[in-house]
Amino acid sequence: MISVMVVDDHPIWRDGVARDLSERGFEVRATAGDAAAAVRIAKTVRPDVVLMDLNLGEDSGVAATGHITVELPETRVLVLSASGEHADVLEAVKAGASGYLLKSASVEELVDAVTRTASGDAVFTPGLAGLVLGEYRRMAADPEPRDQPRLTDRETDVLRFVAKGMTARQIATKLVLSHRTVENHVQSTLRKLQLHNRVELARYAIEHGLDAEPDSASQ
Amino acid sequence: MTTKQDQDPTLPFWRAAVTLRILTLLFALGVIYYHQPAYARPRLGLVMGGVMILWTAAVSFRYWRPTGRSLLAFTIVDLAICCAVMTSSRWVLTPLQLEGQPAPLIPTIWVTGVVAAGALCAGATVGAVFGGVVAAFNYGVRGYFDVDLTRDMILLVGIGFALGLAASSLRESRRSAERLAEALRVEAATAERERLARSIHDGVLQVLARVRRRGIEVGGEAAELAKLAGEQEIALRALVSSAPVSTENGMADLGARLKVLETERVSVSAPATPVLVGAHVATELTAAVREALANVEKHAGAGAKAWVLIEDLGSEIVVSVRDDGVGIAPGRVAEAEREGRMGITRSLRGRIAELGGTVTLETAPGEGVEWELRVAR
Repeated sequence: MISVMVVDDHPIWRDGVARDLSERGFEVRATAGDAAAAVRIAKTVRPDVVLMDLNLGEDSGVAATGHITVELPETRVLVLSASGEHADVLEAVKAGASGYLLKSASVEELVDAVTRTASGDAVFTPGLAGLVLGEYRRMAADPEPRDQPRLTDRETDVLRFVAKGMTARQIATKLVLSHRTVENHVQSTLRKLQLHNRVELARYAIEHGLDAEPDSASQ
Repeated sequence: MTTKQDQDPTLPFWRAAVTLRILTLLFALGVIYYHQPAYARPRLGLVMGGVMILWTAAVSFRYWRPTGRSLLAFTIVDLAICCAVMTSSRWVLTPLQLEGQPAPLIPTIWVTGVVAAGALCAGATVGAVFGGVVAAFNYGVRGYFDVDLTRDMILLVGIGFALGLAASSLRESRRSAERLAEALRVEAATAERERLARSIHDGVLQVLARVRRRGIEVGGEAAELAKLAGEQEIALRALVSSAPVSTENGMADLGARLKVLETERVSVSAPATPVLVGAHVATELTAAVREALANVEKHAGAGAKAWVLIEDLGSEIVVSVRDDGVGIAPGRVAEAEREGRMGITRSLRGRIAELGGTVTLETAPGEGVEWELRVAR
């Protein structure tokens, strides 16, 4: 059974999603209403998937996503958020979230997305593909390139097709690839971005003298 | 370049320069009257006095409202006439008045006015150049160099430079004040938008989303209500998420413009950073996308979905509109265009062609239709 934790600051929505998921056979281990509680509780209950809203009142779900994915490598974060928050969605994905689903998605889509996230797949909406594509292009246009990741031509093609609403199966047919290969391409675009983000954060920490061992909290 | 008189912060300077011009004219006329009996050509001296009166009237009229594109050209004509009046001293004055016991040149200090005009019009460099030209004629007409003439030169160039600097910095500070006001306005609007967005997000949207989901589960009439709630939810999300569309320098964020076209059946994907294009380009591209989406609505078949993708390639903007509808058989596109089934094609192609861009149409039966619009930055 796939275990889930729901993070959202709005109780109506949070409890609704929790109920939808437990009715469909998921084990909802916990819910949380703010970022700090989300990190704390996730460390205790260690769910397979955290459903993360990004708009948590005063807090942002982006930092919580980063903490959870760093400290719980087995736990995956699926962002479930409103369509308007593109910049935050991109940041959350860079911080380690493995997918993004709109809050307007149907229960079936949600169930499918949680299942796929638990099995290690990246869950891409066309909107997220557009964001990731844009982020790689922004990095490629950087006047001071410092080993930013690049997309291969194949990965660019795949992301463009996803952004234009094609399913993995349709893309596989179009590019004469296996369904698995298409999934791998999509995942690798995310992984490169996340790795780069960690390297950048570490570089920033070293440059600003933040790398000194603070206390036992770091692992 | 200022176009509205009431916006030009240098206006008081211009008025002062006109006053100076009239005062110096009176002084010059007095000098002519006083020295005229001793002139080599007294009558030419009086004619020059008349020329100066007429020209002073002309420049006073022109500089009282210093607007319009030809202002700099006018100051150059002004400079030429001032120098011509100075040069006339070669014939009016006697050689002794020119060199041995120097009498003032015909226009005397009247020529400082044109240096002020040049400086006010075009800044420190032009002001200094105007001063330099007048000083050069001063040397030329006299035919020698000495301490007095050099002092005049330094004063003329210095006045031109200083006044020009003052005028430019006045205009610059006016511009930065305007920019600051604009930035404050945008910031206030953004803060207000965020406040609204947060309260809508925390309240209305959550409830609408819940109504939609429960309604679908309950089914029947509730499903109808759920559908309506869902449409409002998407419209509201698009509304609160769209940034202000225009920036101060006539650029617009194409991403924000197209984001509001998102509906239950239309997904819009854009980079996280603004895709800034000229306001006209944004308007035309948005209109083209609207047309393509209207076509999906009309011809793609019931339940067809559409996806809009905006890509910023740096030198080029690519907007794709794809649907998963019935599509068109190859070779039938032209026919369909004739039948009016693709009536929008001409209008859409026209818009993009006018922007110097290209349109590609890809379709096959059962494969939907895909438009690709490419426009150079």
